[in-house]
Amino acid sequence: MVLCLVALLVFAVLSIWSAKYRVLAKEAFGCVAKMVTFKPCDVRLETKIKAKVASKLMIVPALARFFYKYFKALSWAFTIAFFASLAYSAYSIYNLLVFGTCTPGEPCAITGFAGLCILVIEQYAAYAIIAVMIIAVAYFLLKKQKKEK
Amino acid sequence: MNIEKIRADFPVLQKKVDGKQFSYFDSACTTLKPRQVLDAMNAYYTEYTGCAGRSVHKFARRTEEEFAKARSKAAKFINAPPSEIIWTKNTTEAINLVAHGLKFNPGDRIITTNLEHSSGLLPWQAVAEKGAVLDFVLCSKEGEFNPEDFKKKLGRKTRLVSAIHSSNVTATTSPLKEIAKIAHDAGALVLADCAQSVPHFPIDVKSLGIDFLAFSGHKMLGPTGIGCLYGREDLLKKLNPMLLGGETIKDATLQAHVLEDLPDRLEAGIQNYAGAIGLGAAVDYLSGIGMQDIEDYEKNISKALVEGLLAIPQVSLLGPKDFKKRGSLASFSVKGMEPHDIALMLNDRNFFLRSGMHCAYPIHKFLGLPKGSVRASLYLYNSADEVKLFIENLSQIIKTFS
Repeated sequence: MVLCLVALLVFAVLSIWSAKYRVLAKEAFGCVAKMVTFKPCDVRLETKIKAKVASKLMIVPALARFFYKYFKALSWAFTIAFFASLAYSAYSIYNLLVFGTCTPGEPCAITGFAGLCILVIEQYAAYAIIAVMIIAVAYFLLKKQKKEK
Repeated sequence: MNIEKIRADFPVLQKKVDGKQFSYFDSACTTLKPRQVLDAMNAYYTEYTGCAGRSVHKFARRTEEEFAKARSKAAKFINAPPSEIIWTKNTTEAINLVAHGLKFNPGDRIITTNLEHSSGLLPWQAVAEKGAVLDFVLCSKEGEFNPEDFKKKLGRKTRLVSAIHSSNVTATTSPLKEIAKIAHDAGALVLADCAQSVPHFPIDVKSLGIDFLAFSGHKMLGPTGIGCLYGREDLLKKLNPMLLGGETIKDATLQAHVLEDLPDRLEAGIQNYAGAIGLGAAVDYLSGIGMQDIEDYEKNISKALVEGLLAIPQVSLLGPKDFKKRGSLASFSVKGMEPHDIALMLNDRNFFLRSGMHCAYPIHKFLGLPKGSVRASLYLYNSADEVKLFIENLSQIIKTFS
């Protein structure tokens, strides 16, 4: 299910250039909309992605089997990696534009906190991980609650 | 049966999908349409568009003639008189017409089964909500019924028995003749959902002895949006129309109306003329080949399908293992794989199958398959080579992933 988020962003960008991806982006949007409103999908986009990629990987059966078996874990890992790299890229690009370097060593003047630079991501990694975990737990609890109802 | 000649009649079979041949194994959902059906429908729109039974001009007269001819063809196909055929949108509407049209008193019992399609279950649930009592005969794990189980369920207050004729999941055919006799002996009416049987083998309503029969045009090479309800004339006269409007009345005042005779009183508004004419052409096409020949041919390709599936150890076939007891479809589950995954992987290889619950939730739950099954359903345009290739591809997928 989480892969919908990645798919939505990736297909939305690709759909700027190709109409083929607009259909997929629309489907991904529907999937995300259902995900956030806790509604079930019939054949989810993820199922389609899973089957499509697994089919393509069949030239290496062991790899295809691994992908099929651990798809859920792989999709979580891929989603986290995607958003982490997205955040890191944004951070780097911002720093590049403001300080002329992707990893500035000096604290910047944007925050009011002495000695702290809000854009030095390492200092906030722990908070970010905790926030993501809280959001994920809250999501699953809400989903479970909705299912029980 | 000349399969190559038959395949040449289907425009869609002359196409390629993504530059490759495809195999359509989803005929239990809807069938492909031959050129003859498309031409007949097109003729209505391009040569003589009109309203039957209303206007007096030439186009209207021609429409009326063709519409009446189509009714006669559909009637003859199941050995019924044309006066006992009501046009509906599909099987679902036909069953709903009976469910809403018959008068049920509180406490009246309706017997149906756990093998029903949603169309054959939900209308009775709606009737039960108004006070009737709904009871069920359960099939065996292979989808077969023992007529004695119907006898046990029938009682003095049983008004109607509604049963699916051929299952869209287990591919079994119910002993309708025996069920009808048992029901009639108990004073109950019988309705049969024949959506999956009328397209595949000869049906004779008189020989079956049933009171109502429902079927769809799109599952027998006809267009979507047209179906039939067969009903004994005396019973159809007792049905309250589900819809009222144009052509359903003889006369009307501001306060009241007098209902028209059959079949008009049950066919409100402008009808799906092109659909009915298309269904008539589909009946001509099937009759031209011969329903017995179609049944025999399907048995042959089904044998290859069932034997092929049974040869794959990870596959669990739903329904009997003996192909002689089955219709032309095979639903199955695969150990360690989800139905949608299999259907999507086969779709990638241009084999078009259906996966999921097939609108038959109770039977899947009864069989312990909450995620449903994969279904390959064949028809007269499928070849033995296609089946062979399908089994090879499925085996390869299962070997890799299961």
